[in-house]
Amino acid sequence: MRFFKALLISLVVLSTSLSAAAESYLIKNATVYTSTAKGKVTNTDVLVENGKIVRVEQNIKATGDVVELDATGKFITPGLSNPSTNMGLVEIGAVSSTVDAATIEHNMGAGFNVSTAINFRSTILPQNRINGLTRAVVLPRSGDSIFAGQGSVIALHSSAKGLLNDNVAQFALYGSDGARKAGGSRAAAMQLLEQAINEAKYVRANPSRFYEGGNWQFSQSLNDLKALYPVLDRKVPLIIAADRMDDILRIVNLGKKHNIRIVIAGGGEAWLVAKELAAAKVPVIIDPINNIPEFDSLSVKFEGAGILYDAGVKVLLTGGGTHNAYLVRQSAGVAVAFGMPKTAAIEAMTINNADVFGIKNYGQIKAGMDADIVVWDGDPLELTSNPDLVLIQGEKQPLVSRATRLRDRYWDLIGNQKQGFVK
Amino acid sequence: MKKLIVFSLAASLWACGEEPAQKIEVEKPKPVYVSTYKPLPSEEFVLKGATVLIGDGKQMDNASVWVKDGKIHAVGLDIQPPQGVKVIGAQGLWVTPGIIDVHSHLGVYPSPRHENNADGNEMTAPVTSEVWAEHAVWTQDHGFNLAREGGITSLMILPGSGNLIGGRGVTLKNVPSITVQGMKFPDAPHSLKMACGENPKRVYGSKGRSPMTRMGNVAGYRAAWIDAKDYMKKWDDYYEKAEKGEDVDPPKQDLKLETLAEVLRGNILIHNHCYRAEEMAIMIDIAKEFGYQISTFHHAVESYKIADLLAENNICSAMWADWWGFKHEAYDGVRENVAMVEKAKACAIVHSDSAIGIQHLNQEAAKALGAGNKRGMSLEAKDAIKWITLNPAQSMGVADRVGTLEAGKMADVVVWNQNPFSVYAKTLQVYIDGALVYDRNDPSKNAVSDFDLGLTDPEGERL
Repeated sequence: MRFFKALLISLVVLSTSLSAAAESYLIKNATVYTSTAKGKVTNTDVLVENGKIVRVEQNIKATGDVVELDATGKFITPGLSNPSTNMGLVEIGAVSSTVDAATIEHNMGAGFNVSTAINFRSTILPQNRINGLTRAVVLPRSGDSIFAGQGSVIALHSSAKGLLNDNVAQFALYGSDGARKAGGSRAAAMQLLEQAINEAKYVRANPSRFYEGGNWQFSQSLNDLKALYPVLDRKVPLIIAADRMDDILRIVNLGKKHNIRIVIAGGGEAWLVAKELAAAKVPVIIDPINNIPEFDSLSVKFEGAGILYDAGVKVLLTGGGTHNAYLVRQSAGVAVAFGMPKTAAIEAMTINNADVFGIKNYGQIKAGMDADIVVWDGDPLELTSNPDLVLIQGEKQPLVSRATRLRDRYWDLIGNQKQGFVK
Repeated sequence: MKKLIVFSLAASLWACGEEPAQKIEVEKPKPVYVSTYKPLPSEEFVLKGATVLIGDGKQMDNASVWVKDGKIHAVGLDIQPPQGVKVIGAQGLWVTPGIIDVHSHLGVYPSPRHENNADGNEMTAPVTSEVWAEHAVWTQDHGFNLAREGGITSLMILPGSGNLIGGRGVTLKNVPSITVQGMKFPDAPHSLKMACGENPKRVYGSKGRSPMTRMGNVAGYRAAWIDAKDYMKKWDDYYEKAEKGEDVDPPKQDLKLETLAEVLRGNILIHNHCYRAEEMAIMIDIAKEFGYQISTFHHAVESYKIADLLAENNICSAMWADWWGFKHEAYDGVRENVAMVEKAKACAIVHSDSAIGIQHLNQEAAKALGAGNKRGMSLEAKDAIKWITLNPAQSMGVADRVGTLEAGKMADVVVWNQNPFSVYAKTLQVYIDGALVYDRNDPSKNAVSDFDLGLTDPEGERL
């Protein structure tokens, strides 16, 4: 009986917590970028119940207790995502007490997992979600090791429920950045990467031989080597930063040789080897607005992302850094201006991230998906467009951030001293 | 009675000299590193039937822009050029003045960016008003070409913000040139870069020297202006005596103080990196204390808090559309900053400070426009274009010659394939002084920098 009572209470608690997400929405007459094979559909209704998208059809009739919203002339996309952020790990870039993105701790490389540092009350989360970003991959930055560590995926809720998966990728460096972490040469960087993979295989094959705390002579700590097991198992991809054409090809070959999933990040010259990337099924994280030639990326150009897409490479768009990670859509707009189809650009900010990082029930406007929905007041890629509605897992987000509070406080300038009383 | 006193005073002054003063012509310092800019060859043409944003807040639909002798000859709805003048159909296209960026480090922080060519910050002393950005511009920076593709026809290259007073900036026309003198905007005023806040106090405080605090920053500016006043007086005294015919030697030229004195004389414009509202207000008071005018606050992230004060003091704000949070003084950034400065009828400018951003100033302005309108303003393309044309031209002291499509001005003109505030917009043609300097449809005509040649493939192209 006591047990039953406890169960009952927990059920009540559970249903209460669900009810916060349980409001139903019927969004009418929108143009919908579905991020599915259907592409863009017009004059379409989207029904949301219990935090999920349940129907995407024309002429859905509202039944029961549902909030109906007319979106005539408006556009729907899945909530956008950015696969390369330090969200929650950085509040103010130059204030070290607010930055947890990297460690220079000895023996912390591949095993560095940032999930326990994410600050869900960061001002960066609301500022991004009111601008249409609902999911982000949170990656570590590299401290001293060539392996930066493990990344998480979050939904942009301002609470810990936003942590969806604490290990969706391992991140490492190659190219000139990798060379710096390896004593000054790309060759050393490649040897370090490969050595770590081989050592991880060896340790795993001989588990009884290597106990914790022993003084083992490996290139990485035991903990760091073990952190590579999910990479060896192909459970998570190994993201490697590389821009130069030959760097990218070498990393693709590394992936083939060891049968691991590679994702290229940066990819400035990736378009030159688009065929090879497509054949090896290696996705590329790229910011198409970055066309500044560096010695690692002499052949970088706006058209790169579109060329990769045309060749069949899975493209993941990024841009805007962490504070403005939502500006990935500006980068997407540039990619479209220079050849990438618009539907492909939207997929590259939604479903492609779900595919690569295993984000469940996210990335499409389709029945069964979590209701991460943005209603835009204009073309979703136009910079003059803004969200009118943002749902994250079915929860309606107030379109308020610290920045909008400041804006409203100063919208009418009423006098130097008086301003301090405006809230 | 009063008159008499004045007369007798004058008479007594004459009495000091041998004879009544006859002003002697005293040689003044000649301009140095002068512009050798010459417009590229151009032909007369009319762009016909375009949507024209004049740059001053006006828009003309289905209008023509007539360019003759490198100048805007006329803009109007009913333009009838004589036979033989080339008429370019521009129906469905948009035409704007050349885009102007008041804050660039192209050439001094060129790409590729690395340790050999970081030439923008002489961080060896907090006041380095003796250094000039133009002495460090690498003209082969490919960024100039990329900016030209983005419609940039004039730009100001500034030293960085590591110092309280960082040095002189230079205004360039964005033409290919081996020498920087060949890019210098003729007779454009020099600028002087100053910096508030975190950068100088970090750079010097971390070396255990002043400034270590914002207090030290202000003491540093004031000390510099006091020295400048003293130096200016020495030269004024010298001229006064020399013009009277006295046998006096000129003071020794001091590069550092010469620049500051020229600010006090009103010949060099102050461009002041300053994020926070209360620091801007202090800088305004420093300018009043020493009698100079601030042209523009750059990176003015908090201008929206004091837009009325800025309007009252006739100071422009050069702003990003949305950068924030990278340091504490940038923490209060709002997306409506530009629009709120415009709303207060203060001078609003969208600047880049970035080799990427400078290629998309139209997009940066579009974001500011969209943010302002979402909050309830009714800004249009004809308003937003000012933020990247006329207003920066005013800030740089060249609005008499560029910044709008008005008869008599330099024919710096951009033809866009659509409304430039669309993310999909691209430049089609860019003209500088009437000469076609970029043509998207005919890359063979476009300039390339030395950097491009034989870099990745001896015989082929980099891209």
